Amino acid sequence: MAQKYVIGVDLGTTNSSLAYAAAGAGADPHQLPEVLLFGIAQSINPGEVGELDLLPSSLYLPGALDFPAGSLALPWDDEPPFLVGRLAVKRGVENVSRLVSSAKSWLSHSGVDRTSPILPPNYPDPERRLSPVEASRAYLEHLQHAWDWKMPDTPFFEQQVLVTVPASFDAVARDLTKRAAEEAGYRNLILLEEPQAAFYAWIERHPDWRERVSVGDLVLVVDIGGGTTDFSLIAVTEDAGELSLERVAVGEHILLGGDNVDLALARVLEQQFEGRGTRLDTMQLHALWQQCRVAKEKLLEPGNTEPEHTVTILGRGTGLVGGTIRLKLAREDVERILLDGFLPAVSSTDMPRRVRRSGLQELGLPYASDAAITRHLACFLRQQAAGAEHGSVRRAPSGLACPTHVLFNGGVLQAPLVGRRILEVLNSWLAAEGVDAARPLEGEDLMHAVARGAAYYGLARQGQGIRIRGGIPRTYYVGIESSMPAVPGMAVPLKALTVAPFGMEEGSSLPVPDSEFGLVVGEPAEFRFFQSALRKNDTPGTFLDEVGEELEELSPVEVSLPATGNSGRVVPVTLETVVTETGVLELWCVARDGQRWKLEFNVREHASG
Amino acid sequence: MGRIGLALRGFFSLLLHGELSAPLLGVLGLTRRGGASRPAPSPAAPPAVNVSDGALQMLGILQRDSRLIDFLMEDISAYADDQVGAAVRDLHAACRQSLNRYVTLRPVIDGVEGTYTRIEAAAQTSSQVKLLGNVPAEGSVAGGMLRHKGWRAEKIDLPALPRGGDVKIVAPAEIEIE
Repeated sequence: MAQKYVIGVDLGTTNSSLAYAAAGAGADPHQLPEVLLFGIAQSINPGEVGELDLLPSSLYLPGALDFPAGSLALPWDDEPPFLVGRLAVKRGVENVSRLVSSAKSWLSHSGVDRTSPILPPNYPDPERRLSPVEASRAYLEHLQHAWDWKMPDTPFFEQQVLVTVPASFDAVARDLTKRAAEEAGYRNLILLEEPQAAFYAWIERHPDWRERVSVGDLVLVVDIGGGTTDFSLIAVTEDAGELSLERVAVGEHILLGGDNVDLALARVLEQQFEGRGTRLDTMQLHALWQQCRVAKEKLLEPGNTEPEHTVTILGRGTGLVGGTIRLKLAREDVERILLDGFLPAVSSTDMPRRVRRSGLQELGLPYASDAAITRHLACFLRQQAAGAEHGSVRRAPSGLACPTHVLFNGGVLQAPLVGRRILEVLNSWLAAEGVDAARPLEGEDLMHAVARGAAYYGLARQGQGIRIRGGIPRTYYVGIESSMPAVPGMAVPLKALTVAPFGMEEGSSLPVPDSEFGLVVGEPAEFRFFQSALRKNDTPGTFLDEVGEELEELSPVEVSLPATGNSGRVVPVTLETVVTETGVLELWCVARDGQRWKLEFNVREHASG
Repeated sequence: MGRIGLALRGFFSLLLHGELSAPLLGVLGLTRRGGASRPAPSPAAPPAVNVSDGALQMLGILQRDSRLIDFLMEDISAYADDQVGAAVRDLHAACRQSLNRYVTLRPVIDGVEGTYTRIEAAAQTSSQVKLLGNVPAEGSVAGGMLRHKGWRAEKIDLPALPRGGDVKIVAPAEIEIE
């Protein structure tokens, strides 16, 4: 059946959203179909379903005592096994041990087995816990049901679906996202990087975008969400006389966002409470956190010059007025924490501090140890200098990548102060290098831009708009142990074989030269697997004599040739790399007779090892 | 039932009652769609809907979303104005939000308060307009000074009550498990 719509799904850390557009060329080829936001039906109170633009990416495991029977019914499911969305957040505040949140951050956390039931971490019954993949799947399933309920004539699975992932997601996290979507039943699936989606949303809003950028320009996309910060560089190039766009670099995965700011503000006020001898309970602390968010947003609204904003914590119990505590959040404090704590004016050579953590660490997310977003940005722009050339990156004499434009995205950037500060700091670096200042590209609708942009990209793939060229944002390697005599107390030296080059495009495959080795039938073979966002010129088959700092180890990959009659036989195979149309990296072993076996990411082994 | 018997019963059932009888539906393997011309009497009597249920539900919603009942039931005479004010600002915002969500309120007369306003004769006999001041003993009036625009609940959109819930519980007691 012909696809009627393209659907963009922003599977966010704290909130998800969905946008869609009519597929297929309209009467006027230059007039793109409008991209619309989809109202997502979800439980908003017990017994009440409502439509909201955002689906909070939170999941609550209801117990028998949580809600009246039948009050969680959705139009498509009388008794859903768990609760997703707005009501999950509300109830989760009251009972945090049953709440799954930030599943997406867990999905990219290589320190845990991401397919085993670990969420919520403090939930007593391991039987009912979910894996990060299953939680993501639950959100994707909810979106699909909400769509099918409202649009019964155009089934979700028959439409082209684009799911966004952070640019910083590595091959394993992308593969797990794809797996979650496939388990939810998604077909016709394409993955898209969020900063690219934000850029597409900007193009969609500015049909005259070709007049706003020119050849040689470099656009820095800064995406600061609730829990993560993501950087990308997009170069404006020329192809057969037409402007063309290429995503030339992506940053590391930084678990740092708006929630951290709100928490820092809440801490300041909590100390004030303690100064008065008042202890807040969990519910009140949460209320304080929420109130700090509201106060921060109010104070930072354009045009607001108030010196402070009142934060009220209502009394618990039936004494509402009597127990009410009122504090003031000073503008000074907000600006100091935001500007000095999160966006300090550093130099472009200041790198993020890496705090060595103690050997035994509580099982939790690897939050960024340095809260200074500007230092992470400096590191990102410096790294582009360290790596070899790929594409046309505008650089200063010192090697610092020099953006000409900045596109901001994410809820935190709704406060003009944040964008202004980042631009100020960036431009101070550019001035020190003797380069012209970068200018902001005006983004709009920062909360929904990613879903919108994803839907636009769906149209672009059908030939109805410009596509950003990019391919995979890293180079990938497998580890090969050197054939050297083992020395006691020393690890066997490891060499790295390049298997996937930076920028390898979706829908292409490459044989890896000089990669023939023997696989034993019936026995699993495992390879260590590495990535680098910095080395951009290694071609497939290139050996690195040592695994240096530039390489980062991922979950191992393994392959097992099915044991047939002649197990123990050795089959000579070569490696082949495939980047699927979906946007997922795959490694294959190919025998001389053309038989193929896929190498799978082994997230389980890695966690226990 | 033989084919002829079935055909005849179906024929007479449709002719006399305008629909197939329940046993015939069973034999034919059919089920009646919702919205049939005549609702079949349900085996158990439906739960009695009390007229006060909606009012109690509204109280419950306002308490849940804004803690209005806590506020109204509290003796606030001992507290200073700024203490009351601090609590009420939040309460007001939340209360207003849920009122807007479930009830659509519009003025009865969309005029400017404090100005002369004509009123239709039909409105005077109903409860829409309350006449104040020099009200004539009989007949009708053409208009007067608009003192209050009035409120009309144009639409009430309350969610379905939970099955088996006690609507009299405006706010459940809260017990925290340590």
